[in-house]
Amino acid sequence: MTRVGVARRADGSGVALDLATTALLPRVLATTPRGARVALVGARALLLAGDAVHVDVTVGAGCTLDVVEVAGTVAYDGRGGPPSSWTVRARLGEDARLLWHGEPFVVAGGADVLRTLEVDLAPGARALLREVLVLGRSGERGGALLNRTRARREGRALLAEDLDLTDTGLRASPAVLGPARCLDTVTLLGARAEGEDVLQLEGPGSQVRALLTDAHTSPLGAVWARWRTGVLPLGDRAGTTCTTTEGSRLAGAHAGTGRA
Amino acid sequence: MASPDLVLALLADARLPVGAHTQSAGLEPAVVHGGLTVADVPAFLRGRIATVVAVDAGTAVVARHLSLAGADLTAVEEAWAARTPSQALRQASRTLGRGYLRLAQRLWPGEARLAALTRTPARPVVLGVVAALAGLDAARLVRLCGHEDVATVGAAVLKLLPGDPADTVAWTLAAHPAIEALVARTAALTSPQEIPATAAPLVELQSLQHARTPRRLFHA
Repeated sequence: MTRVGVARRADGSGVALDLATTALLPRVLATTPRGARVALVGARALLLAGDAVHVDVTVGAGCTLDVVEVAGTVAYDGRGGPPSSWTVRARLGEDARLLWHGEPFVVAGGADVLRTLEVDLAPGARALLREVLVLGRSGERGGALLNRTRARREGRALLAEDLDLTDTGLRASPAVLGPARCLDTVTLLGARAEGEDVLQLEGPGSQVRALLTDAHTSPLGAVWARWRTGVLPLGDRAGTTCTTTEGSRLAGAHAGTGRA
Repeated sequence: MASPDLVLALLADARLPVGAHTQSAGLEPAVVHGGLTVADVPAFLRGRIATVVAVDAGTAVVARHLSLAGADLTAVEEAWAARTPSQALRQASRTLGRGYLRLAQRLWPGEARLAALTRTPARPVVLGVVAALAGLDAARLVRLCGHEDVATVGAAVLKLLPGDPADTVAWTLAAHPAIEALVARTAALTSPQEIPATAAPLVELQSLQHARTPRRLFHA
């Protein structure tokens, strides 16, 4: 399991990071007194048949964690092998902030993949997530994908969604995706953001979606940038600045397990 | 106890005064904002039954189960709302739910299980309570949810994409196997967490586009 944890030190001297690695390596890009920016780097080819990637994320009270993916991920043709899975479990403490800008997740023809995202938010916590799902590489229809999202706030259901794209006929239904082969989603949990054609969840949360034939044409980059300013706590610029001394020291700890 | 078949016929009757004639089950948004044609209707129906209808049917089944057990339905309404990300679709469902509740209060006056609901419960939640009160079993309740969606689309097609009315009946019949599959999937559910959460991105997006469209025939 890949683990990325950030928490305030008890003595108030900045943040402590808890990193563990498997097929995805967390690399610390920057830290601030209240947060960190961490890149996830694939240590080998992902996702092959039978691969089970699991990322466990913990953001302590009042901390900010900015997760970036350095490249997209391809779920490859399983060639009849077992399904693969990509699981992210995130827990946010009080007033914590999680930003996770996902890069394209491409489901190649013949792939069979289950993606799961579980987010638990304590009071005052906010998460901003981008998810770019692409069905098939160029010229392919793409394999089977079941994309599950469960978000809870103070233990109560905030968003529950199973995007079942396993049946190629059903997913082309004019009720589901129609001719689109890319689904770009920006989701804000724990707060609302306004805008045209924004899904407003029953609880505090907003979501905007673009259904596209080509991921490069997505208009959601601008939405991400706008909503991001509402998520970062005042004075905390995690992810935009680099505190090199502590950052480089912590970066050396990425390969091991333990507290930096 | 009334015959369950007659109760099913009563509740599935389009003349039931609950305001269902204001709804197109996503058809008008799909025609106006998605360019849906008559040829696309069967695939549209299959997509709905596998996604949003499954959410509603599962919600109704669990509401019925918990209502029979005398339990509180707050968690069912919450589970449904978490599975219905579009504010336009939640509002449309609650407008209908209010109509069902008023009718049910006339049929079962002073009933505590109805009094315990909010004034505008989600349609599948109040439908589940009605099923509990009327003696409708879970499988028939799922068939009601499935048939109603298909019939609503069919009636709206005749207004928006006029054609042979017999075609809409043929689509309804052709959708029955998918509705029976939904019975197998949802009729035995008992807890809110088990309710299907199957999403329909186009239905959800078009519901928002429709809500800001000034001239429209149907509410949703």
